[in-house]
Amino acid sequence: MATYAEMREIYEDIRNDFRYDHELNGCLNCGICTATCPAAHFYDFSPREIVQLLWTENVEQIYDAMQEKIWACAQCMTCAARCPFKNSPGGLIAIMREVSIKHGMQSAKDVLRPFGRVMLKLITTGNQLSPDMIQPDHFPDWGPNIQKVEGDLKTLRKAIPVRTLQTTDTAWEVSLKTSVEMYTIWEMTGVMDSLQIVDENLFDVIEDFIDEKREDYNDWLETQEDRKDD
Amino acid sequence: MQNTVLVVGAGPAGLAAAAGVAESGNKVVLVEKAAQLGGTPILSGYAKLVPSGEWAKDAMGRMVKRVEESKNVQIYKETKVTKFAGEPGKFTATLANGTSVECGSVILATGFTHFDSINKPEWGFGTYEDVVTTTQVEQMVAAGKVACPSDGRVPERVAILLCVGSRDRQIGREWCSKICCTVSTNLAMEIKELSPTTDVFIYYMDIRTFGLYEDRFYWKSQEEFKTKFVKARIAEVTRAPDGRLLVKGEDTLVKRPIVIPMDLVVHAVGMDPNEDNPEIARVFGVGLEKHGFIERAEHYTNTCGTTRRGIYAVGAALAPETIDDSISQGTAAAMRALADMNALVQKTA
Repeated sequence: MATYAEMREIYEDIRNDFRYDHELNGCLNCGICTATCPAAHFYDFSPREIVQLLWTENVEQIYDAMQEKIWACAQCMTCAARCPFKNSPGGLIAIMREVSIKHGMQSAKDVLRPFGRVMLKLITTGNQLSPDMIQPDHFPDWGPNIQKVEGDLKTLRKAIPVRTLQTTDTAWEVSLKTSVEMYTIWEMTGVMDSLQIVDENLFDVIEDFIDEKREDYNDWLETQEDRKDD
Repeated sequence: MQNTVLVVGAGPAGLAAAAGVAESGNKVVLVEKAAQLGGTPILSGYAKLVPSGEWAKDAMGRMVKRVEESKNVQIYKETKVTKFAGEPGKFTATLANGTSVECGSVILATGFTHFDSINKPEWGFGTYEDVVTTTQVEQMVAAGKVACPSDGRVPERVAILLCVGSRDRQIGREWCSKICCTVSTNLAMEIKELSPTTDVFIYYMDIRTFGLYEDRFYWKSQEEFKTKFVKARIAEVTRAPDGRLLVKGEDTLVKRPIVIPMDLVVHAVGMDPNEDNPEIARVFGVGLEKHGFIERAEHYTNTCGTTRRGIYAVGAALAPETIDDSISQGTAAAMRALADMNALVQKTA
């Protein structure tokens, strides 16, 4: 359990985010955010409660909500589209999540662990998901429609008229240049810093991979220069 | 020097202003764009007025009769002012029917426009027949029967949604329409009088039954008529397979999302600035405040004044307003107009 001073510091980090005053104007306690929230229908989660805790500066309860509740939000932003005050409860939750990562909270590590695989897939292929990963056992919610993507995947994908989409182990082909640019974006926007905080091992693996890809890219650039010289 | 007063709009405020000027012995020209005098309470078919409980047609009828019978009032219906020029004491207004009116001052009693619920599609108006507005329920009460438009059945459960078109930054309406809370509690009681087995639920953000409306309407609707008040802003209205409406909200005191079946959903529609206000502002050369209502002058010594000297505004032309206060403002503006013209006469003498 954190000390009051630590909880206060976490709250101040949320409060001082440059988006905070834009996302929170006040609160009429009308509950339209919670009424319209898909997550609130299935979990012990209420966007209005989050807004109220922030508005009343209840640092202990804010800390408590950051243990689990804020991760129930699907970031669909219906709350922001409905709020008569034009608050964005979803936007506030985005800030709270970023702060929880910055402070290396165990809850953030636990919640984000399963996404490590997605991140690895993304960094190695540029895709979050590939067609050959869509197998009936893993997608029971698709119902009988899953049969349509079973069978001869290669032939089905060949039917797509866009050449870069005719692949099965990636959703589409991502060029080396695009991948390297994506790594740069992640580094400059702090994604890699966040990753280092929540999963040091994954961070190391990905860093090595990025270095390798950058070298490949630089080699390719040199071959282009050589060609020009010829 | 002209001391005729031009009154624009013949609702509660305009009728009071016209009567005030006329009974003080001055001439009035009253211009009304509709074919009938009486303003929104008559044109929208209101039932009993708040707080008097008198039928709108009787109360407004007396105000109309008083003005129609006055020798000092010249009435033009179904016309508008299209051109306006001059200065205090020497204005000339041209009406759409070609008439030219010389006047010393003008009182704008141009009222408001009901919020059009079609602009909040998630609340089902225009999609489901049994979603109606307070204006429609007023008309039902005036006709003596509250029924679901879809099949004519008497509703078992009625939901009244407050703040429809009010207090909502999403649709650029940041004002409280002031009167809908009290009107809704009154309608809840009227529904119950017509159908004692019907349950009425009012969904609110805050209840603003100010002043004496607290016990006469808010408390009374609970204590005597068992109206249920739920602190919740409804997220959306949908329809169940059996045809009943479903309202989805959060019961904020119980802190859980709820979906409740209803037979009739009533939008307590707010007051928009009169949709003609941009035209009125252009013709008369007066300013509009940020919401689109007519802009007030300094109020303490220039009561009912606008941004142009010699032109006054009253009632819901200035902001959402009650009928009673609109009438008082109409009378106050009559006083102000006559006093200012008197001062002009003394100055020129």
